[in-house]
Amino acid sequence: MQRQMRTLVLAAAISLSVSLKAEFKASAEEGKKLYEANNCGSCHAMDKKVVGPALRGVTERRSEEWLIKWIRNNEAFRKSGDADANALYKEYGGAAMNIFENLSPDQVKNILEYIKTAPKPVAPKAAATVEGDSGKSDSNSLYIMLALIGIFVIVLIILGKVRNTLRRLAAEQDGTAEDNAKGSFIKGLMPAKLAKMNPTVLTVFTVVILGGIGFVWSYKFGITEVGVQKGYAPKQPIAYSHKLHAGDLKIDCKYCHIGVEESKSATIPSLNICMNCHKGVQKASTAEGDEISPEIAKIYKALDYNPEKIGAEAFGQNPKPIRWVRIHNLPDHAYFNHSQHVKVAGLACQTCHGPIEKMEVVQQWSSLQMGWCIDCHRNAGIDAANNNYYAALHEKAAKDLKDHKNKSQYFGPDGKVKITPAMNGGLECAKCHY
Amino acid sequence: MSNNIKYWKGEEELAKDPAFLAARKNEFPDALPLDEVLGEDGVELNSNRRDFLKFFGFSVTAVALAACYKTKVRHAVPYLVKPDDVTPGVASYYSSTCGSCSTACGVEVKVREGRPIKVDGNPRSTVSKGGLCATGQAGILSLYDTERLANPVANGAETADWTKIDKLVSDKLKDIDKAKGRIVILSNTIHSPSTLKSIADFKSKFTTAEHITYDAISYSGIISANKDDFGKAAIPAYKFENAEIIVSFGADFLGTWISPVEFTKGYVANRIPTAGKTMSKHIQFESNLSMTGTNADERFPMKASKELLYLGSLYNYLAEKAGNKQIPVPQSGELAGNSIKKTAELLWNAKGKSLVISGSNNTAAQKLVNGINMLLENYGKTIDISNHSNQFKGVDADTDNLLNDLTTGKVSAVIFYNTNPVYSHNAKWADAIKKASLSVSFSSTKDETASVCQFICPDNHYLESWGDAEPKAGEYHFMQPTISNVFNTRQSQLSLLAWAEATPKAENDPFASKAILSQKLSASPYYIYIKSNWAAQLNNNEAFNKALHDGVWSSVAESKPVSYAGDVTTLTNEILDSGKAIGTDLILYSQVYLKDGAHGNNPWLHELPDPVSKVTWDNYVSLPKSLAHKINFKEGDTVNVKVGNTTLNNVPAMVQPGQANETVGLALGYGRTAAGKVGGSKEKGFDAVGVSAWPLISSKNGGRSWFTNGVEITKGDESYALAQTQTHHSIEGRDLVREASYSEWKKNPTAGNDKEKTHVYTIWEKRDYRKDGSPNHLWAMAIDLNACTGCGSCVVSCSIENNVPVVGREEIRLRREMTWIRIDRYYSFANTSKEIDGNYVTREKEIGQIDQADKGDFAHWENIKVVHQPMMCQHCSQAPCETVCPVLATTHSTEGLNQMTYNRCIGTKYCGNNCPYKVRRFNWFRYNDNDKFDFHFNNPLGKMVINPDVTVRTRGVMEKCSFCVQRIQEGKLKAKREGKSPNEVKVETACQRACPANAIVFGDLHNPESEISKLYKNERAFGVLEEINVQSSVKYLTKIRNTETI
Repeated sequence: MQRQMRTLVLAAAISLSVSLKAEFKASAEEGKKLYEANNCGSCHAMDKKVVGPALRGVTERRSEEWLIKWIRNNEAFRKSGDADANALYKEYGGAAMNIFENLSPDQVKNILEYIKTAPKPVAPKAAATVEGDSGKSDSNSLYIMLALIGIFVIVLIILGKVRNTLRRLAAEQDGTAEDNAKGSFIKGLMPAKLAKMNPTVLTVFTVVILGGIGFVWSYKFGITEVGVQKGYAPKQPIAYSHKLHAGDLKIDCKYCHIGVEESKSATIPSLNICMNCHKGVQKASTAEGDEISPEIAKIYKALDYNPEKIGAEAFGQNPKPIRWVRIHNLPDHAYFNHSQHVKVAGLACQTCHGPIEKMEVVQQWSSLQMGWCIDCHRNAGIDAANNNYYAALHEKAAKDLKDHKNKSQYFGPDGKVKITPAMNGGLECAKCHY
Repeated sequence: MSNNIKYWKGEEELAKDPAFLAARKNEFPDALPLDEVLGEDGVELNSNRRDFLKFFGFSVTAVALAACYKTKVRHAVPYLVKPDDVTPGVASYYSSTCGSCSTACGVEVKVREGRPIKVDGNPRSTVSKGGLCATGQAGILSLYDTERLANPVANGAETADWTKIDKLVSDKLKDIDKAKGRIVILSNTIHSPSTLKSIADFKSKFTTAEHITYDAISYSGIISANKDDFGKAAIPAYKFENAEIIVSFGADFLGTWISPVEFTKGYVANRIPTAGKTMSKHIQFESNLSMTGTNADERFPMKASKELLYLGSLYNYLAEKAGNKQIPVPQSGELAGNSIKKTAELLWNAKGKSLVISGSNNTAAQKLVNGINMLLENYGKTIDISNHSNQFKGVDADTDNLLNDLTTGKVSAVIFYNTNPVYSHNAKWADAIKKASLSVSFSSTKDETASVCQFICPDNHYLESWGDAEPKAGEYHFMQPTISNVFNTRQSQLSLLAWAEATPKAENDPFASKAILSQKLSASPYYIYIKSNWAAQLNNNEAFNKALHDGVWSSVAESKPVSYAGDVTTLTNEILDSGKAIGTDLILYSQVYLKDGAHGNNPWLHELPDPVSKVTWDNYVSLPKSLAHKINFKEGDTVNVKVGNTTLNNVPAMVQPGQANETVGLALGYGRTAAGKVGGSKEKGFDAVGVSAWPLISSKNGGRSWFTNGVEITKGDESYALAQTQTHHSIEGRDLVREASYSEWKKNPTAGNDKEKTHVYTIWEKRDYRKDGSPNHLWAMAIDLNACTGCGSCVVSCSIENNVPVVGREEIRLRREMTWIRIDRYYSFANTSKEIDGNYVTREKEIGQIDQADKGDFAHWENIKVVHQPMMCQHCSQAPCETVCPVLATTHSTEGLNQMTYNRCIGTKYCGNNCPYKVRRFNWFRYNDNDKFDFHFNNPLGKMVINPDVTVRTRGVMEKCSFCVQRIQEGKLKAKREGKSPNEVKVETACQRACPANAIVFGDLHNPESEISKLYKNERAFGVLEEINVQSSVKYLTKIRNTETI
C-alpha cells in the first residue's frame, strides 16, 4: 500500500513535471500573446530604451525570481527595500511601471521565455524626413500632354485645309476645276439637306448652338468647380491615418481636436497630444522589429525628441513645427465656428467631414459652398427644448403650432416637426459674413 | 418747447463758402479715381484702341485661366507643445498696466494666438476704472512698429550681442565711477517700486550716479507750490466725483491734464441729470477752446497771461466772504458779465464740495489755487494731498541745470530712459550729449536723442514687459508680458541691473521644468526681481499671482489732515505784473492724442480728428476770428509766429471759434524729425508731421511756461490746406442735436426733446422688429450727449476692433476717411440774443442771417458752445440704404442689425448716397498690402494687430459700423454653449468698452431689465432725424447744460 502510494506520488510528480515541461515548451508562444495583451510594447522595446529599459537579455541580467517580483508588483518590491529595484526606479526618473498582479508567476515566465526567443530586428529603413507635399495636382503633366495633342490635331486640320485650298487654287489655275461646289471639304461631309441651306443661316445656327452649349457648360463649371475643392486630398508631411486612429483604435475625435467644443477652429493637434501615446508607441503596428516607424520618427524630429533619453532631457533645443497642408479652406469673408455646430448643435464630425474614420488620407468631403451650408440651415432641426437659449424660440413655435399660425414652416419634407436654424435667423448674411 | 439754437460745424458752413456748398451736394467727393486705382496695378487710364484690345484680350485669357485655378496650397502650422491656457481661435485676456504715458492706467489686454490685438481699461483699476484714452488704445500699434530697433546699437552699429554691449558700457561706467565722474539717469516720471529699486541698486554700485526726472509736459508749478504750501512736493489726488462746482482755469482735465481717464470717470459721475441727484456745474476759463472747455456749462474766454489777475480777484471775492485778508488786485481783474464774481458766489455756496484747478505751470498761479481751495475747505474732500498722485514728478529746474552741467562738461555719463530731450526740451542737448564720455539711450526707436547717443539699449514695449506701478500713493498696478519679445530687446531695468552686476538669478524660475517652448520662454530675470521685491507684501505665490491676475493691489493709508503754510499775499507783485500784460498771447498746449509727441509715429493718432478742430495729420495755429479778420487771413493761408528771437514761418493755421481774442494756440508734440516713416524722419527722408512748437517755450520762475505774451502773428506767404474732417458728411443744417438747460429739465424732463413729430410716413409696409423679428434679441444703442466729452477713444477702439485702414492726409483732404464712427462737433454762439422773426425758415437760412448780422464785429466769436455727437450707422429698421442696393448686399437681420455683406457688394455706392446719416464708407483703394498707404497694413509686423474675426475689406466695397457683430455672435455663442437664456448674453461694442465717460450703452431691447431698455424710456431719448421715420436703432439723450437758460 505504502509502495503503491509512493509509486503513485512519484508517477504524479513525474507526470506533473512532464506536463510542466510540456507547458514550458509552449510558453514562448503563450508569452507573446500575454506580451501583446498586456501592452508591454507601449513602454518597452526589445533592443532599446523606450519608456522602460530594453528587454533583450533581461533574463541574463536578472534572476527569474527577481523579475517575477518586479513585474508583478514593482511598487511593493521596491518598498521591500530591494536595492536593485530602487536603483532601476531612480535610473528611469521615477517613472513607475504598472502593476501586473493579474499575471501568475508562470505567465510571467512565459513572457520571459518569449523575450528570450524574440526575433532579432532586420536592417533599418532609410531615415525619415519631415517634408510636406507641395499639394499640387499630380495630373498637371497629363493635362499638358492632352493640350499639346489637341493643339497638334488643330494644326493638322488647318494644314489639311490649307493643302486643300492650295490644291483647288492650283486646279482652278489649271482650268481643271469642276464647277460644282463639291470642292468644299466641310460641305462634303454634310448631309444633303444641310448642304443646301443658306451658308449664313447655317453659320449663325451653328454658332448659337455651340455658344449655348459652351455657356451652359461654363456656367455649370463656374458654379460647381471654380474654387471648389471637394475631394481635395493632398499628401501631408506625416502620413497620419485617421482610419487607424479614429477607425481601428476608436480614439475619440475630441481627444486630439481639442478646440472643437470651445473654439471656431477644431485645431490641428499640437504634437504634445501625439506624444501622449507615441512616447510609448514607437513602431508601426505592422512592423516586426523594434525600429521606430518612419512616420512617428517625424514627430520626434519635429519636437527634437530623443527617444533614447528620458524626461525633460529628451527634448532638444531645435524643434521644427510641422507644416500641414490645409484641406478645408474657407474664404476670409466667411466665418465658421466649430463649437456652434459641435457643442451647441451636437452634430457629428462625419456630418460635414464624411466617413473620416475610414479615410487613410483625409479628403475634403463636402463642397463647402454656401448652398451646401444653406441647405442644412434650412433643413436641420435645432434641439430647442434642451437649451435654455432657445426657450423663447421654442415657446413661439409651440404657440404657433397651437394657434395654427404659419404652421407649415415647422414641418420638414419628412413630415416631422422641427425648428430650423433658418427660423432663428440662420440664413441672414451677418451670421457668417462680417 | 424747442430751442432756437443755430448749430454749425465749421466756419465755411456758417459763411456759406461756395466751395463748401458745392461739395456738400455730393456724398462722394469725386468720380471714381480710376487712374489712381489702376495705377495700383501699373496701368494707365489714358489708353488707346490698341491698349484696349490688349487689355480685352488679357482679361479674356485671365478669366479663362482663373477658371482653371484651384485655390493655392495653404498650410496650417499648429503648436508643437500647446500652452495650457491657449486655445487657438479663443481670445485670452490679461491684466496689465498701460505704458503709453506715466499716468499708468490699468488695462486689460486681449490676446489671440499669442499676439495682443486690443487694449482696454481694467475695471478694477482706480486710475482707468475700465476706460482708456485714445492714446492708450493706440499704444498697441507701437508694439508692431517697424521703426523699432531690432538689436542694441553700439556707436552707430547694430549688434545682436547684449553681453558685448554690457561689457563696453559697464567698463566705461566703472572707469567713470573710479574717477568720481557724475553719472545721471534722466527719465520721465517713474513710480514703479521695482524700477525705482533697480535704479537704487544701480546707484549703490555706482556711487556718483543720480536720477533726475524730466517730464516734457511737466506739472512743475503744482509740485513747487505744494512743496512751499504743504511741505510736500507732489501732485494731489483730485476727486471730481465729489465736486458739485468745478472751476478750471485752462486745465484740460478731460483731455490731457494729469490723469484724464480717471478725471473723466469722476466728472461724468455727476453730469447725468437724474432725479434726486444734483448735477455738477462746470465753469471753464481758458484761451484755447480745449476739449474740456467744450464740455463746460459756462465757458469764459480768458487771456492766459492774465490768469493770475483773475485768480487773484477770485481769491479776493472768496476771502471777503470768509473774512480773510485780501490781496491788492487792480480793478481790471474781472471779466465780462462779472463772471468771476458769480463764480465766486457759486463756489462759496458749495464750500467743501467744489474744486478749483489751473493748468498753469506757474508756481504763483498754483499757490493762488491752493489758497482758493483752502478758503473753500476742499482739502480732504475733493483734493487729497496726503494720498497724492505719483503720475508726474518732474521739476523743470532740475533738467535745466542738468543741461547746463552737461554743456560745461560736468557730467561724465548720461542715460536716457523714456525721455527725448533733444526733441522736447532743447536742441542744445544734441551737442551737450556729445560732451559726456558715455551716453546711453533706452529708447526702442532711434529717436532724436537716441541717435546722438553712443549706445542704444532698446527697451521692451510695455506689452512685452514685467513691471509694477504706483500711480497714486498706495494704489499699485502690475504689468505682465502678453507676447514674447518681438525684437532682440531687453527691459531697461535689466540693463541697469546688468551694469550694476545685480542681475537676478533664475534659480527660482517657476517655468524651468516645463519642456521645449517653455524653455525658450523661461521667465525673465526681472519677473524674479519683481517677485522678490513684493515678497514682503505678497508673501506667497497665490497672493502674487492674484495681484497679477487682477492687475491691481492696494494698501492705501488713511488720509491725513493737511497743514497749510502758504501766504498768497506774497504773490502780489506777480499778480500786478500779470495785469500789465498786453499784446497777443501764444498758448502752447498738448494735443489730446499726441500729447508730448512720444507716440509721433502712430498713424492712428494722427488720423484721429482733433476733438475740437477736427484737424488731422497736422498742428496749426488756432486764430481768433477777430485776429484773422485783422490780418486778412483766409482759409488755407499760413501765418508767421514770432516769439522773442524765434520765428516759425508759414505755419498752417485756421480760425478757431471759441479762441479767446488776443490769443493764439499751437499744439506741442508735432514736428518729429526722427520718429519714423509715419511721424517724420530726416534720416529716412520722411517729412515731419506738423511743426515742432517746443522751441517757442519760454521759461518763467524756473518752470516752463505754456504761454508767452507779446507774440507777433503775421500772414505767411505760402498756403496750406489742412486735412480737416469737420464739414465732411454735412448735415445741411438739419436738426440733429437737442439741448436744454438744467433749470428747464428740472421743470420738465422732456425739455428740449418735445418737438412735434412731423412727416411720419413710410414707403413700405411697416416693419416692427419687436414683434416680427427674432424672439431672442433686438439690438440697440443709446448715447448720452451729456456724458460724451468728445475724447475720440471710441473712434480708435472701433478702428482697431474692425480693421479700419488708415488713409493718410491727402485722402482726408479728399473726404475719403474710413472711420466707422465719427464724433460730430457742433458749434453755436453762446449768446443767442438775435432772435429770428417768427416765420419758419430752413436752418440754412437762419445761419445765413446770423452771419450777415456779424459784419465787422467778430469779438463774439470767442463765446462758443459746443455739442459732441458720436455718429455711426444707426441700424435703421426702415433703412434707406437697404432699398437701393441692387445686389442685396445690405440687408436687415431679424435681430435689428443693418448687415453689410462685403462679398456681395459691387460698389455702386447707392447706399452711401441714400444714407441720411452719412455713415457709410467706400473703399476707394485696397489699403492693405499697398505701399501707397505706408502705415501699418502694408507690412507683416503691422498686420499683427489685425483682428482675425473681422474681414479685411478690399477695394470697391462699402463698409460701415456693424454694431460689432463679431462680438454679438461671440456673446450669443457663449450663452448657447452654456445653455443660458438670451437675456444673459453679454455684449459690449468696442466703442462702448473704450468710452471713459460711459456715454455709450449697447444692449438688447427684448430684455426689459437691460440698461438699454431703460434708457429708451428716458425722457431725454431722441432719434436723430426721427421725422424721416427711418426708425433708427440708436437713441441719443438730450444734452442738458447746468445753466438757467440756454
